[in-house]
Amino acid sequence: MRFEFTPEEKNFKSQLSSFLDDVLPNDWHGPADESRDDHWVLNQDIKKGLAERGWLVMSWPKKYGGSDSSPMINTIFAEEMAYRRAPGHDRFGTRMFGPTLMRFGTEEQRKKHLGSIARGEIQWCQGYSEPNSGSDLSSLQTRAVEDGDDFIVTGTKIWTSLAHRADMMFMLVRTDPEAAPHKGISLIVLNMKSRGVEVQPIVNMAGVHSFNQVIFDQVRVPKSNLIGELNGGWRAGMTVLNFERSGIDYAAWARAALEELVDYVNSDHAEVSTAKSDATVRIKLAELHMEVEAARLMCYDVSYRQGKGEIPSAEASMSKVAASEVYLKVLDYGVELLGMYGVLESGSNQSELQGRFFKMRLFYTSGPILAGTNEIQKNIIAQRGLGLPRK
Amino acid sequence: MDFGLTETQELIKASAREFLDEKSDSAIVRAVADGDSDAITALWNEIVELGWSSLIISEEHGGAGLSFSDFAVLLEELGASLAPTPIVESSISSWILERFAPDALKSDLLPQIANGDILITPAIVERDASWDPESTKVAATPSGSNLVITGEKRFVAFAEQATHALTLVRTDDEELTLVVVPIWKSDGVEQTPLSHASGVPVSSLSFNELEVSESNIIATGKEATQAAEELVAAGGVARAAQLAGLGRAVIEATVEYTVNREQFGVPVGSFQAVQHHLANMAIAAKQVTHLVHSAAWSFSPYGYSADTAAQAKIAASDKIAELCWTAHQCHGAIGFTWEHDLHLYTRRALAWKTDYGDSAFHKSKLANAMGL
Repeated sequence: MRFEFTPEEKNFKSQLSSFLDDVLPNDWHGPADESRDDHWVLNQDIKKGLAERGWLVMSWPKKYGGSDSSPMINTIFAEEMAYRRAPGHDRFGTRMFGPTLMRFGTEEQRKKHLGSIARGEIQWCQGYSEPNSGSDLSSLQTRAVEDGDDFIVTGTKIWTSLAHRADMMFMLVRTDPEAAPHKGISLIVLNMKSRGVEVQPIVNMAGVHSFNQVIFDQVRVPKSNLIGELNGGWRAGMTVLNFERSGIDYAAWARAALEELVDYVNSDHAEVSTAKSDATVRIKLAELHMEVEAARLMCYDVSYRQGKGEIPSAEASMSKVAASEVYLKVLDYGVELLGMYGVLESGSNQSELQGRFFKMRLFYTSGPILAGTNEIQKNIIAQRGLGLPRK
Repeated sequence: MDFGLTETQELIKASAREFLDEKSDSAIVRAVADGDSDAITALWNEIVELGWSSLIISEEHGGAGLSFSDFAVLLEELGASLAPTPIVESSISSWILERFAPDALKSDLLPQIANGDILITPAIVERDASWDPESTKVAATPSGSNLVITGEKRFVAFAEQATHALTLVRTDDEELTLVVVPIWKSDGVEQTPLSHASGVPVSSLSFNELEVSESNIIATGKEATQAAEELVAAGGVARAAQLAGLGRAVIEATVEYTVNREQFGVPVGSFQAVQHHLANMAIAAKQVTHLVHSAAWSFSPYGYSADTAAQAKIAASDKIAELCWTAHQCHGAIGFTWEHDLHLYTRRALAWKTDYGDSAFHKSKLANAMGL
């Protein structure tokens, strides 16, 4: 048992923190709105800066330009980036597609794509969900039909984050409609500039254009873009989801938001000046502090186990559920604490904390839904973690 | 960050499980709850023999000199088995003696605790049921080289077995004093037994002009407050460790029940509604365990993290009690019976929730630590 970071870990955290001090605007509150051009420029600048310092893909093996950093260092990286609500952490390329390519790609494919991800040059997005395939992903219908040296891709992907900014997409397509659902799926990569690709923005309930619907109308994709085996895409595709599943971002966002609330309550400039002397406010903020720390430790435990070579599937699901739930609790309480001010939209006159809590609360309704709903995560915890029978 | 157990801790855990499976089964837990005090003595004697009661007493004073996190690992197993034994009471008292008592008192009492000659239990709470040292009213008046103590302490666990109480009194000049008082067959001490949900003996102690030597004083004034605060923090983490183990045991029992109980031709544990109850229970127990380990790790002979200690007790109090209620729902009607053991765990969880400061008490402490 040891509940502190090593000197090396502390040192990395402080270096990253000073880099973010330099690169983030003084009045930065985040989170970035990727549909805003100025925020996207910031995203690209930070990504390049991280790449120059060797941090963007430090989790990768040395032979692909990484530094084989430990899962704990990777978690500290993700945590600090999220805590500062900094953009530029290219998860799709660096943490999802890159590692999948290392495992399932050909040498030529690795050569072609890994370098550009490591340099922060190419933006990737993920084409998994479809209008009729959410949690039941293996029912996906987007077809890829073989035609000479190409596939012809037709169908629709949805909830695609960053499709409006991405150069490339890695996607799951159905290549054998006759086979069992899991056995007729392939993983391919597609250039978003291809003829027949149409990106339609979807504005979320917070009023932010963060994801998209992408329509593929007979898009030609060379067969050399197949990753792994034909009809072997389910396994490769699920590997991505294992990289995706952790709660550390939520735990860090929750900590940042809670600290803002504590500062607000203690401030002499708060319009809701009664909060300072309200015992129920003290009690509630203390409870949330405990919940945030509990979620944070769960995320560190996942990294600790990964560092020992385990694949802590149930623990990763637990951390995602706990952290995404506590983040919403903090945001809920922020809105409640601000009372009448709590429901002022961001940008409103006389708003408190720039109306950010209301906007974030609406935005992160997505937390328990995306990357495997919390209900799906609980199935994993019960079945893989506790050994309860599958239906 | 290292969430693993050390070799010593693995050893403690394995030997504790083996011993407790046999010596603290539900028949013994029920017998003690029905008033069998011989069973408590028999179990305690073996625990002293195993060296568990002196685990965190320094080697200098006849203990094993192990860490508070080693102790927490042991307590998880004791909690999982509902062992009806005063190990937390005794060990927390010895921890406070080590940390705050004058050398002469340490050399006198600690070796006697280690070899089982004496048993000390904390007596802090009074009529208002508060664990805040400042609410102390029991009065002490100096008389020669003695203190004369009058007043009532309530909710004292294992007072029937204890030879001494570690108690907090207020002297004539309004200063707090933490002192060890002999209670075993003492004139001037009257015990009122309570019927307590923990299923172990809990009493109120009335001191009527009880004379105690000044050499039994652990600390006075600000130092007494500090010592009492550390006692509540350490006791809270110790109870939280027991609650973490208790939660784990309840999950294991609930998994076993829902895997074996069939309805509609399938195990009820295959239903998503039941699985989600259990997933929530697993998350709660995991969170409590992490916070307990983190808090226990912070305790050293030089201090502790008040922030983390409060978090551990808040989480354990709230989450493990809720976990027990969810377990009842998963067990259906059988878990509602007297015959089924589940209520033994629930009773204990509800009792431990109140010990060494409840959730509201520690939330207030934590709010202070957060600068609120």
